Amino acid sequence: MALSLRSIRNGALIVVLLGIPVLLLRSSAQDPHRMSGLDRAVRRIGAPLEAAVSYSAGMLGAFFERWVLQARVQDANEKLASENRDLRQRLREVVHLQEENQQLRRALQMREKVPEDMIPAERVGVDQSPFFRVVNIRVDRGSQYARPGMAVLSPDGVVGRIDKALDDYSDVMLITDPRSKIAVELARTKAQGILEGRTEDSCTLEVSKDYEVEVGDIVQTSGVDELFPKGHPIGQVVEIEPLVGDQQRLHVVPAVRFDRIDVVWVVLANAPGADPRSGLEGPAVQARGLQPISP
Amino acid sequence: MLRAFVYLVLGWVLIAVVGGMADVLSLTIMLPATSAVILTHAAFSVSTSLPLGLGVAIALGYLEDLHQGAPIGTLALAHGLAFLVLRWASGRFAIGGFWLRAAAGLFSALLLDGLTLAILLVLAEPLEVPRHALLGALGVVHWHALATLFVAPPLWAGIDRLLAVLRLDDRPPQQAYWTGAGT
Repeated sequence: MALSLRSIRNGALIVVLLGIPVLLLRSSAQDPHRMSGLDRAVRRIGAPLEAAVSYSAGMLGAFFERWVLQARVQDANEKLASENRDLRQRLREVVHLQEENQQLRRALQMREKVPEDMIPAERVGVDQSPFFRVVNIRVDRGSQYARPGMAVLSPDGVVGRIDKALDDYSDVMLITDPRSKIAVELARTKAQGILEGRTEDSCTLEVSKDYEVEVGDIVQTSGVDELFPKGHPIGQVVEIEPLVGDQQRLHVVPAVRFDRIDVVWVVLANAPGADPRSGLEGPAVQARGLQPISP
Repeated sequence: MLRAFVYLVLGWVLIAVVGGMADVLSLTIMLPATSAVILTHAAFSVSTSLPLGLGVAIALGYLEDLHQGAPIGTLALAHGLAFLVLRWASGRFAIGGFWLRAAAGLFSALLLDGLTLAILLVLAEPLEVPRHALLGALGVVHWHALATLFVAPPLWAGIDRLLAVLRLDDRPPQQAYWTGAGT
């Protein structure tokens, strides 16, 4: 088989070319740690190239890392926001419970301070005016306990009185109701009068001009009408209107926020009068103890 | 000649890229043998003559030696021998499509690693390379080949595209497949 000149030339070139790495290997085998001038020159070019690529890749990697980090931060943020919403909701519930607890505590404290026979009642409904003022409240005590005319109190002051007592609940006529009339007195001057409901959130009271009245004076029950126990706050004077004659009209704002009432007390019976013999010493009775009974 | 230069420059850049990415991503095992893919591309290219392709292969191997810190000449010889094997195969097989390119990448990487290990095992004593370390390297060859399998098809397509852009591809420019002309 005749070989062409081209094949011979290619074969020679292959041998020569393969001889180069063989010679390089031989050189490495003689001194594995030696680098020739060409090796150093190529390394000098290659090292910065690799460093540049490494730097660029590092920058790119850092960018993606930051991107992933931001995505993670966003996820964490959404999770925390969700937790925050839940916690805020729970906080609102806790605040509501706190307020309720405070009201109940005040109601209990009031029960301990007030001598009248009272029964607690929970508000179960309200009637509101077109201007969102409370004009009537409903409590969960029916005719089994409540009777029309019974006073209704709260820790802040007088609420009103039972208007209608039904089977399971009763309607309370508020002190601001135009039908409401209560015997009251000014706490500071003891000037007495009849407090009448006027509008949705105020009452009026007419007292003699002989009494000096100031804006801010506290109005309280006088107990004269025997419906409301004496000394319970009703509100305070916000305006003094002089009338023709010897009377002056006082505008009173109730002490009780009717829209915030949860628990009220229905006065079943006024406290009995003081025992006239309470200060006297009774007859001494000898204690028997465990001694034998003598015949 | 220009085509050989493009192979060489591209090969060198890819060696640096793989080295850089390995450094950034802290990869040591699953690194693709980009030189093997370039070698295969050159071997299966009709526009690259045997001596020129062999020269490119040895030069690429020499660059790999320097970048990988192998004894100088080891990878150069392995690349040269691998090129000859692949050139021989190019007369009997044709590579086309995604899967064949991937398979060619896998085969060339295994071939290159096999030849390198064989050379090192033969010259272990004079090159002061411990044999047990070489046998340990056998256990990670498949990762190297697997990485090359994934990289080969896109890299092959990229080389095709680059050569076409530089008007160095095997077909005349008007018949370049990616232009859509001449069909």
